[in-house]
Amino acid sequence: MTTLQGAPRRRVSRKAVTAWLFLAPSLLVLVAFTLYPMIQAGYLSLTDYNLIRAAEWVGLDNYVELFADPAFWNAFWNTVLYAAVVTPVTVVLALMLAVFLDRQFVGRAFVRTSIFLPFIVSLGIIAIAWTFLLDPNIGLLSYWLSQAGFVAEQGILSDPRWAMPAVMFVGVWKNVGFYMVIYLAGLQSIPEELREAARLDGANAWQRFRNVTLPLLSNQTMLVSVMALIATLQAFDQIYVMTHGGPFFRTETLVMLIYRQGFQELRFGYGAAISWVLLIFVLLFSMIQYLFFQRRQVKY
Amino acid sequence: MKRHHSVRRSRRSVFIAGAAVTATLALVLSGCTGGGAPSGGANDPDAKVTLDFWNGFTGPDGPALQKVVDDFNASQDRVTVKTNIMPWDTLYQKVLTAAAGNSGPDIVAMSASRLPQYIDEGLYQPLDDYYENADFESEALATAAVDASMYDGQNYGVPVNIATMLMYYNKDLFTAAGLDPEKPPTTWDEFADMVPKLTVDENGDGKPEQYAIALADHETVPMYQPFLWNAGGGIVSADGKTSELGSEGSLEALNFWVDLVREQKASPVGLAGADADKLFTTGKAAIEIVGPWMTSGFNDAGLNFGLAPAFAGPTDQITLADVVSMSIPASADETTKQAAYEFFAYWNSTDGQKTWAEGSGFPPTRSDVSSDITGNPYPAMFGAPDVIDNSQVLLAGIAAGGTITTTIFEPALQKALNGEGTVDELFTEASKQVQAELDK
Amino acid sequence: MATTRKHRYTSTQSIIKWLSTFAGIVIALAVLLPVIWMVFTAFKPESDIVSYPPTLWPRELTFEHFGAVWDRIPFARLYVNTIIFAGTVTVVSLLFDSMAAYALARLEFRGRSLVLILILILLMLPFQVTLIPLYDLLNSAGLTNTLPGLIIPRITNAFGIFFLRQFFLSLPKDLEEAARVDGASEWRIYSRIIMPLAKPALLTLGLFHFQYNWNDLLWPLIMSADVSSATLPAGLALFMGQHVVEYGLLMAGSLLSLLPVVAFFLIIQRSFVAGIATTGLK
Repeated sequence: MTTLQGAPRRRVSRKAVTAWLFLAPSLLVLVAFTLYPMIQAGYLSLTDYNLIRAAEWVGLDNYVELFADPAFWNAFWNTVLYAAVVTPVTVVLALMLAVFLDRQFVGRAFVRTSIFLPFIVSLGIIAIAWTFLLDPNIGLLSYWLSQAGFVAEQGILSDPRWAMPAVMFVGVWKNVGFYMVIYLAGLQSIPEELREAARLDGANAWQRFRNVTLPLLSNQTMLVSVMALIATLQAFDQIYVMTHGGPFFRTETLVMLIYRQGFQELRFGYGAAISWVLLIFVLLFSMIQYLFFQRRQVKY
Repeated sequence: MKRHHSVRRSRRSVFIAGAAVTATLALVLSGCTGGGAPSGGANDPDAKVTLDFWNGFTGPDGPALQKVVDDFNASQDRVTVKTNIMPWDTLYQKVLTAAAGNSGPDIVAMSASRLPQYIDEGLYQPLDDYYENADFESEALATAAVDASMYDGQNYGVPVNIATMLMYYNKDLFTAAGLDPEKPPTTWDEFADMVPKLTVDENGDGKPEQYAIALADHETVPMYQPFLWNAGGGIVSADGKTSELGSEGSLEALNFWVDLVREQKASPVGLAGADADKLFTTGKAAIEIVGPWMTSGFNDAGLNFGLAPAFAGPTDQITLADVVSMSIPASADETTKQAAYEFFAYWNSTDGQKTWAEGSGFPPTRSDVSSDITGNPYPAMFGAPDVIDNSQVLLAGIAAGGTITTTIFEPALQKALNGEGTVDELFTEASKQVQAELDK
Repeated sequence: MATTRKHRYTSTQSIIKWLSTFAGIVIALAVLLPVIWMVFTAFKPESDIVSYPPTLWPRELTFEHFGAVWDRIPFARLYVNTIIFAGTVTVVSLLFDSMAAYALARLEFRGRSLVLILILILLMLPFQVTLIPLYDLLNSAGLTNTLPGLIIPRITNAFGIFFLRQFFLSLPKDLEEAARVDGASEWRIYSRIIMPLAKPALLTLGLFHFQYNWNDLLWPLIMSADVSSATLPAGLALFMGQHVVEYGLLMAGSLLSLLPVVAFFLIIQRSFVAGIATTGLK
């Protein structure tokens, strides 16, 4: 249908209606229970709020304060460090394990299940197990290491140099199995003919991997990298249990700081401001990552 | 500010408008949340009341608490107390969200160290009339327990539990070190002399197999802070207005102990409370200054241990007391409050305290019961007059107490123990931070 | 000679295979160490757990913790609550997420990019940010301490939508195109063609949702009036006293709590891998 001037009139097509209907249940729930609270949190970030008394408007004071707060910057750089290490390590390790498990050998299913198992156990409980194992005096791991000649004077978790690597390790350990499974699925969907063809062309294992396998895994790599990055920027459970952000805040990430400001200092407005800064930061980086992979996406 | 027009303005402006509407909604709604003025009202003495009692006595303490509650409920039929036990961390969170809502608890137990912060934010109501009512026998209660819930001149809580710390010492390790197992150290200097014998590094790898003492520096009942008291220092002055962290007594104590731990390896560094407990349980530390909750664990481990008041410092021998108090939310009405008082009175009665002490091993909140407790020898020891009367709660009545401990004192202590600065530098700086908190 | 070369090739291959088995077992055991510790600890008497020198294998074997768990906390009730919570959320979430993902992956409509961006933003939101405002919202709606209040905010998930969208994008379009040309409705295409093909992804996502909600501590705890109406993690947290952690009970309870999730995984594992291999996912 066109108007008298000849410009096409905007009209809601039936296809669009169908699309919105498909989206409706999810969108309604998301808007009501995630988007709205998120915006409410944005509002709270402009207030002084302790949950008991009504929120008091303070404008941008919280933001001004946080950019000058050394605790914020400490948490910020800890978060960046954690994400910058754990994300690539997890992704690369997941890929390596997937390649390793892609071939047949006795016990393959057992190994695959074992590596995946950490993903489905409760992180809170298993972090307690890790803490016990790493206890400097009665922990099994510490004991074995000392028998092997590595004597740690102080516990790993209370040593300022080793606390962060320890929580990073647990972070990788927890999720690598899930990403490995995604890569496995991807590997198994690569047609064998392509690899055969490459072998016949004289390519060696590494060349085959780099030029055939890896590019065909781009979709998976993108998915896994985005998931891993977001997960690392939100890391909380194992840090809370194992080090509680210590020793002297060396492992305090932004999410830990938000928790501390909100639930321990009772400053929800300030905590909300920090969470919005984190959100924008996550957004930026995930967007960059997403666009980076978008260009390389394999289309079928 | 110039407005930028864009081709997709129509879509954007819908989005912005939507956000604005939601934001306004948020504003309106948030005004409805939070705040609960005391509802007052008259007390109805005949009404049947059910009280929701939130507390953090998880672990083995839970059943002991439940026994007293069951006895109370059975002893009369007007008031019924329902316990809601959850981990302390969860309780501190839920109490806040419940304050914002309507279905909150009627009685909340809280550690005296966390209480001031919540009182300051308006969560609780003063309970001075409990103490004025002679029927409730509140003069029998230990002073430290009662004073722990004082804030700004009013008392906001009634004691649930007072836990004093005593020095546990491993008699077998003493004997093995050539020391008299019946003569534990009574002063700092005596202890310092014993350290070379009690800290043992046989294979010379720099890590002792056995330590003289297990001192925790984070996530623990305060172990280092009482040392400051016993040298004439402290963290905050009695009136709560001045920082004493940089005072002569404080620095003397800190220098003494940091040197002892760092140079002579009297204790490992970086222990959490639980780690210190494990160290003593496995016989790898000769001494631990901790509360009564460890007695069953130590006994089960077959340790031959003795108990004595912790060694005295140059000026004092003050023991740390860890007090948990029960409070009533500001929004509770008079009927609820009076019903709660009945429970408080029963809890702190001779019967109630006898059951609690025997079941939990904690000392009773009143000193006239200790001799009646036959089932368990420890309440009498931890509740001995010279211990309880000489005990003190850390930073009672200071709203910034928790913050001072976890964000100022402990990090400074950990840095000193790790050698990242001298005691004098670190703690003079920390003292300024404490003062800043107090001035807020 | 051809046969010798083949022999050498085969024996190198089998050496590699046995090395792989060996390396695999070592890796698996190393990864499983905390879980193994957890299992053994559940069978040790409490006094054996904190001991020196530390041992993995129990010095004394006991089943007391497994029995005591049922007495100390309302374990059966918590089990039921958790099954209802995690189960409902998983099933409904798979439906809603896949519908939304289908729209985003296959249907053209104005505002599609905007919705996608919204999903991505919500994906990145840490839970701690919205916890309090969400609680306030549900409180004003009177939904706290209720089962619907616990479940509804979770029945759809930005991650699930994103994950399935990526998966749907990689499916070949031929079958759909044919069906569309034949005049089939979108719902028909979605339910008859796409969903069956998506079985492996749905199973993976289902496991993800199930374990996430099964192990979630904070949300059910905040949303329940007391521990007995919360879920298993809340009950287990009661074994962590302020001063004393009852490790034996905690680990025994955790093991019992782990069983359904592990069972779920083992069941879907076979069909999941097989499904990918035979699916038209190229």
